[in-house]
Amino acid sequence: MDDDLRLARAASEAALTTEGVYALGTGRYAEAATYGPGEKVSGVVVSPDEVRVHVIVRYPPAEPLPALAERVRERVARSAGGRAAMVIVEDVEVTRDANL
Amino acid sequence: MRIFNKIVVVLLLAALTGLGLSLLVYAFNVEPYRLQDLPRAVGLDSFYENLRGYVGALEQGALDALEVATLVLITLLGLVLLVLEFKPPTPRKVRMQQGTYVTRGVVENEANMAVEQEHEVLQSNVNIQAQRKPGAKVDIRASVRPGEDTQSIQSGLRDRVQQHMSQTGIPVSNLKVQVAESDPRETKTRVK
Repeated sequence: MDDDLRLARAASEAALTTEGVYALGTGRYAEAATYGPGEKVSGVVVSPDEVRVHVIVRYPPAEPLPALAERVRERVARSAGGRAAMVIVEDVEVTRDANL
Repeated sequence: MRIFNKIVVVLLLAALTGLGLSLLVYAFNVEPYRLQDLPRAVGLDSFYENLRGYVGALEQGALDALEVATLVLITLLGLVLLVLEFKPPTPRKVRMQQGTYVTRGVVENEANMAVEQEHEVLQSNVNIQAQRKPGAKVDIRASVRPGEDTQSIQSGLRDRVQQHMSQTGIPVSNLKVQVAESDPRETKTRVK
């Protein structure tokens, strides 16, 4: 359980520090989070064979969405402890400096 | 398929509830509700009688063409339902590459954004379906004023959506665009 939380925190940090990622999503039908005693990491779901990260990207994205998602996936995979990394672009967020 | 299963389960549960309530009432053996009368009250006696007759006719091979056709139909229906049950469900997320996905909502927003840029379109309805292979199935229905050149709008709309999607990098495996004339008084916007 602690290991899952540690992985979730690392994956969350890796995703959030990727340029183009605005925030982590919380899931659509069920809350995407990893739970531990007295703590939860939103936006990351750690399962025995996979680490899934839900991201909200800035709009307009500086690069095509698949490239951005792949970059996030690579960063998350490095901290996933050998588990498969999966990235879901959950939403796009228009930021103040978007000049639309 | 899920809806069909739900209907069957709801009907089954309703029947069981009804039977349970009847059993509860009849269990007290208060006149005129006696437990031994329950099978007759819920029609089980006649059901058993009919079933016995039908199975007897089946064993003797004395079925008419309509009954044979009904049995074949029931078998085929069961086979179709069985195949549908084994079929994996349609994915909810659109696959972009190995390990990267985008939600249908994002694809819908992007498609809508492209459609809304077309001035002739008064109203649009975008439907996105995720597929097992990479890419989304995009179905667009746009409404324009009567008298507009729907053919050219349709091809323009298709080009615009394809261009926008390729800019954002969202893979589209199947794009369907339908343009129909509508009364502006019935559409979301009258003028653009």
